[in-house]
Amino acid sequence: MNEKPDIKVLLIDDEETLIEYLSKRLLREGFTVKATFSGEEGLEVGANEDFDVAVVDLKMPGIDGVETQQKLKKIQPFLQSIVLTGHGAIDTALESGRQDAFKYLLKPIEYDNLVEAIREAYEKKVELQQAKFRQEVDDIYRAGMGARGIKKAMNKLRKIYGIE
Amino acid sequence: MESSDFLQDQLARASEELSGYKKELLDTRRFLNCILENSDEMVFATDVEGILVSFSKGGEKALGYTMEQMVGRHVNDLVDDPLEFEKLAAISRKEGSAGRSDFPLQHKAGHAIYFDISLISLTDADGQFAGTVGICRDIAPWKKFQEDLIRVDRLAEIGRTASGIVHEINNPVAVIGEISGWIEVVVNDAKGLGQEDRDELETAVQHIIKQVKRCRNITQQLLSYVRDSEPTQSSLDVHELLKETVSFLNPELKHKDIEVVLDFMEGPLLLHSDKQMLEQVFVNLISNAIYAVKEKGGTGGRIVLKTSKNDSMLEIKISDNGTGISEENQKQMHDLFFSTKPSGKGTGLGLPICQNIIKKLGGGFSFETKVGEGTTFIVKLPD
Repeated sequence: MNEKPDIKVLLIDDEETLIEYLSKRLLREGFTVKATFSGEEGLEVGANEDFDVAVVDLKMPGIDGVETQQKLKKIQPFLQSIVLTGHGAIDTALESGRQDAFKYLLKPIEYDNLVEAIREAYEKKVELQQAKFRQEVDDIYRAGMGARGIKKAMNKLRKIYGIE
Repeated sequence: MESSDFLQDQLARASEELSGYKKELLDTRRFLNCILENSDEMVFATDVEGILVSFSKGGEKALGYTMEQMVGRHVNDLVDDPLEFEKLAAISRKEGSAGRSDFPLQHKAGHAIYFDISLISLTDADGQFAGTVGICRDIAPWKKFQEDLIRVDRLAEIGRTASGIVHEINNPVAVIGEISGWIEVVVNDAKGLGQEDRDELETAVQHIIKQVKRCRNITQQLLSYVRDSEPTQSSLDVHELLKETVSFLNPELKHKDIEVVLDFMEGPLLLHSDKQMLEQVFVNLISNAIYAVKEKGGTGGRIVLKTSKNDSMLEIKISDNGTGISEENQKQMHDLFFSTKPSGKGTGLGLPICQNIIKKLGGGFSFETKVGEGTTFIVKLPD
């Protein structure tokens, strides 16, 4: 954990060229990036693969940004979403904020702002995850299992939360 | 003798009766004239020949003539199109009355003014044609109201369209920004690239990024105009901002060979205001100045930026020695979408945006101009 963390980012935006170049830049920056071009595709990928941060465009045909990030949250509870929104769509964005989006950014996005937001979102995710992990560990000890049972349960937890 | 007495008596009675009638007639006439002459509507009356015998105060106001000037003249002198009027008069003689909306009469100054007009044919006791009465209502206020409505409607529509277009343009602009960012990264990491090429590419990318930012500013400004957002406050130096604006417009200035003179008061001119909005004002005004100088042609184009401070106001004067603004254009220059530039060059939003912004910032906006000599725009801002 001393090295730069490997942050897994899921991009969901129907503006394909934008996403193509954005993911190239983020990859070079050291992120692990998966690009998807619709809410549906994003959810499908999210169902099979774990991510730390999702960057979701608000306005997309089909499932829109708000709904996509709500559904993602159900699949991966710790995942943090950054919602991209156009001028004047801030009201909807705030709505999305109430629905647990980590942050919303005004389009056209400033790349540096986005990178910063992704890192912050990652930290929030890790923090939440560790808090939850500690709580469950406490629960296991409190449950009064034998040593073997505890070890087994802990291994299971580690696996779930990806924490060594 | 008796019969003579009787006759005398009869005569006296008849004469008395007659003078009663006469008085009644005079009273009635006075009453009618009073109505005719004082009506706020334009009411006129002609005799059989079409010679005006009466002309109301409303008519004096609407057409600029006095009653004394008009009475005795032919009604055709009031009319913009005598043939049309004669047609209408013919109908009124035949049918008793005739009306037309949107009928032009001629103002003393020569231009046409539109009225709702009704002509009523007068007949004497024997049923003979005795003249015409015209009742006209000036529909200019109504017409103006109608035009205003259309304009407001059109503006709202354009506002909607503009914000739609701006949203659509934001996306490709974002893509261009992203690609130029990517090029920057690639150039930075590229091996085997000579220093000269590297510099060229880096400068070019920086230019693209700058222009993308400019687009972003424009779209946001346009949206803020349409959406009427409130100014933000930050501390800024007006001199610095003016210099930035000039350097931003430098390519244009160089290309047109225009000299910019900075006649600043000493030291920084600090102000607490909305930087982006002020920048927009300066860009618009200086761009206009450049255009005015360019339009005039020739050499020796000069733009002077002068700052001063008095009482509690900062004053920024932007003067050019360009074409100046004709009186006709002065009337329209504050209208949205009015532009003297060729289509595609001017949006006709520049000045209205400036005015709007300065009003929001609590300042004042004025200009002095002389055709052929140049224009000075004066922006006053609260200190």
